[in-house]
Amino acid sequence: MSIIGQSVPRLDALGKVTGQAQYPGDISLPNQAYLKILFAGRPHAVIRSIDTSQAEALPGVIAVFTAKDMPVNEYGLIMPDQPVLCGPGSAKPYTDHVRFEGDQVALVVAESEEIATRGRDLIRVVYEDLPILSDPVQAMQPESPRLHPERDSNVFCHYRIRKGDVEAAFAAADVIIEGEYRTPYQEHAFLQPEAGVSYMDEQGRVTVIVAGQWTHEDQEQIAHALGLPLEQVRVIYPAIGGAFGGREDMSVQIVLALAAWRLAQRGTPRPVKIVWSREESIVGHHKRHPYLIRAKWGARRDGKLLAAQMELIADAGGYAYTSTKVLGNATLMCTGPYEIPNVMVDSYAVYTNNVVTGAFRGFGGPQAAFAAETQINRLAQALGLDPVEIRLKNALQEGSLLSVGTPLPKGVSITQVIEQARAASLKWAAEPPPGAPSLRRGVGYAAAFKNVGFSFGAPEQCTAAVTLYGGREIERAVVAHAGADCGQGAHTVMAQMAAEALHLPLERIEMVVSDTAQTSNSGSASASRLTFMAGNSIKGACEQALQKWQAEERPAAATYQYRPPKTTPYDPQTGRAEPNFAYGYVAQAVLLDVDVETGRIFLRQVICADDVGRAVNPQQVQGQIEGAVVQASGYAILENFITQDGRIRTDKLSTYLIPTILDTPEQVESLILEYADPIGPWGARGMGEMPFLPLTPAIIAAVHEATGVWFHEFPLTPERVLRALKP
Amino acid sequence: MTFHQINLTVNGEAEQVVVASNVTLMRMLRENLALTGVKNGCSAGECGACTVLMNGEPVNSCMVLAVECEGAEIITVEGLAKDHQLDPLQSALINEGGVQCGFCTPGVLMSARALLNRNPQPGEDQIREALVGNLCRCTGYTRIVEGIQAAAAISAAGGRP
Repeated sequence: MSIIGQSVPRLDALGKVTGQAQYPGDISLPNQAYLKILFAGRPHAVIRSIDTSQAEALPGVIAVFTAKDMPVNEYGLIMPDQPVLCGPGSAKPYTDHVRFEGDQVALVVAESEEIATRGRDLIRVVYEDLPILSDPVQAMQPESPRLHPERDSNVFCHYRIRKGDVEAAFAAADVIIEGEYRTPYQEHAFLQPEAGVSYMDEQGRVTVIVAGQWTHEDQEQIAHALGLPLEQVRVIYPAIGGAFGGREDMSVQIVLALAAWRLAQRGTPRPVKIVWSREESIVGHHKRHPYLIRAKWGARRDGKLLAAQMELIADAGGYAYTSTKVLGNATLMCTGPYEIPNVMVDSYAVYTNNVVTGAFRGFGGPQAAFAAETQINRLAQALGLDPVEIRLKNALQEGSLLSVGTPLPKGVSITQVIEQARAASLKWAAEPPPGAPSLRRGVGYAAAFKNVGFSFGAPEQCTAAVTLYGGREIERAVVAHAGADCGQGAHTVMAQMAAEALHLPLERIEMVVSDTAQTSNSGSASASRLTFMAGNSIKGACEQALQKWQAEERPAAATYQYRPPKTTPYDPQTGRAEPNFAYGYVAQAVLLDVDVETGRIFLRQVICADDVGRAVNPQQVQGQIEGAVVQASGYAILENFITQDGRIRTDKLSTYLIPTILDTPEQVESLILEYADPIGPWGARGMGEMPFLPLTPAIIAAVHEATGVWFHEFPLTPERVLRALKP
Repeated sequence: MTFHQINLTVNGEAEQVVVASNVTLMRMLRENLALTGVKNGCSAGECGACTVLMNGEPVNSCMVLAVECEGAEIITVEGLAKDHQLDPLQSALINEGGVQCGFCTPGVLMSARALLNRNPQPGEDQIREALVGNLCRCTGYTRIVEGIQAAAAISAAGGRP
């Protein structure tokens, strides 16, 4: 029997239920010192001077590091636009500028965390505050001061799509719907705050044990900032306490490496440990981007979409992080999974002094889907059409052209997921439960597509190594893979795929994971790519190792690099592109009641029809769907991240509320569909992000059906709902 | 800062620990006794990852001072399995898929153990009520609830209480 499709228990579960699994903050090394970071705590300023003398004089303080100690004082996943430490003394200009509250200014290494904290508070920094740019629309204006003075604008990315003639199409349309939509921040709130330890390993490598999403990218960014060759930096991931995109960019990695490396240079090598508090975590890492989206869509009387014109403005905060890539996705997905003959999109990523923004499950897709799906739901209402019928009439098919002028890769299933979500929802009762006269019931539908893997010409590959040991038969197979298991179950699924490819029982697979010294570059655990990419790399490595085994090599070892079909970037004028090599498709139906007296929304039922291609481990797939739906329900109705003049007002889990066990939908029904992806391993597509995308617009549609009000902004907190119901 | 000698029982073992008066139970367990299964998610009593049993009651160990634990009996996640036999809650959480990143898992297990100790056959509402202080960002909670229901069923069928 194939092990693909079996819900085998996770390899890491025993360690996690017994408390033996070690996360970065659980690891202590002999003679370790403690690191504390001085954050800027102000949104925009120039640092005139930093006086560390009092801190250095404090007994127990071992060292204080500032900008002048950074060999190459810059980093960034997409572009190196952020100083590692803000302050005077770097060769690179403008690294003395602070551009958001979470900018890091100085590092104190001490005998204990308490002493490091006291030392941090003794550092005297002279800031010259600058005007705070907290509104992206204002920051876009040519006369606005520039956050990065070397650039000629705060707009650092602009994509254009030009397909057909939208003006002519609007003139021919029977109905036009316009809307201005705003999406909120979202904080990842993974349960494990950032932490790690660093040391010089036995081979003299600066070694950082940390939780991240891409070991080899962390290694590259550390090496760049320290001015070291790659092979002198080592990154290891132990157990990772959630990520959701929030560990894609650097947090403690570079500063940990710097501290251990500088201490060794001084002849006093010591391991260094850091653990961020929850408040440091919330201020110190990026959020999901707020978007302003202006939409104008036109359709024929029968519901056929004729044209869509979209403008997207993403608030990137002080630095780029992955904003350009997130914007790329949003630009493609803002016209929905529909074939629209005439499209015009202009999208912008803009620097502001707000908290930085970047990757978060869905990666631009949720913002885009909110606008696109609300537009089509409103068109259906304006035309008196069924919201499912209007979708089926316009859904992308095999060979349909995207807004960027090229067809989707084969294996398009958006029609199937919509039909199955609808069919499963027909059993729902039309009336709210009796005895609650203030409840109003509504049903809503939405659909989405989401890329699998890196997009728009970004280099994409994944490498696996497999070694087979034994004599007559294979006694054990060692699979070396860097891919990060952030909690999604990647390592278990990798082992299942290796067992299948080698025709071995799972017990004979041994995983060596997430250590740059022992594994090759896998790319990130993001973009719903790891099952797809790791699977193809492991399959290739297993096949080659088996050939060597049959040629009597003992042990039989093979390394295989998988490269997917190439993608291409947006054409700067027309936006024409081959954006992605694979997609996942998803549709959701939502049943809810709105209490019109209190404004509270009761999520009763969510049906999620998700084409995952092939569910390698159905239990883990179901866990991803249920987890994504609850995280998305938080985004839609509960999570309210507040900033004011560039300052974060919700830096605690008591002020930034995420769903508890009493805040979930009453039932989440997972319809796991398996329309194989022609190039996916055993047909698998990616699926970790897809169930997040349609939930907000489906809720918005259901609330409209219940109350008659369209919301253009969320979260739908009771206050917001009530204000709209009782103007 | 004053220091205190505390005598207490942790996972069935008598322990004597010297701690400063401002040290929390969470920190004492993690740092003095190396019980790092007790997780620190917020240090403010908001996430529940540090939940342990104190004299049979679930507490956020970040909100209890170590000096309050003189004579107390503490059970952490490390003390759930006995004689290499997993608690039914542990095996049920594995089997039902209630573990993803696992950082909330120790606290979830301790809140659930306290619930089953006082109510061996809880309904879904009672399970959810008992776990309201344990945040999980990965699972959506459904598999956790089903795991606890399965553990209760195993115990009723004669598994370890």
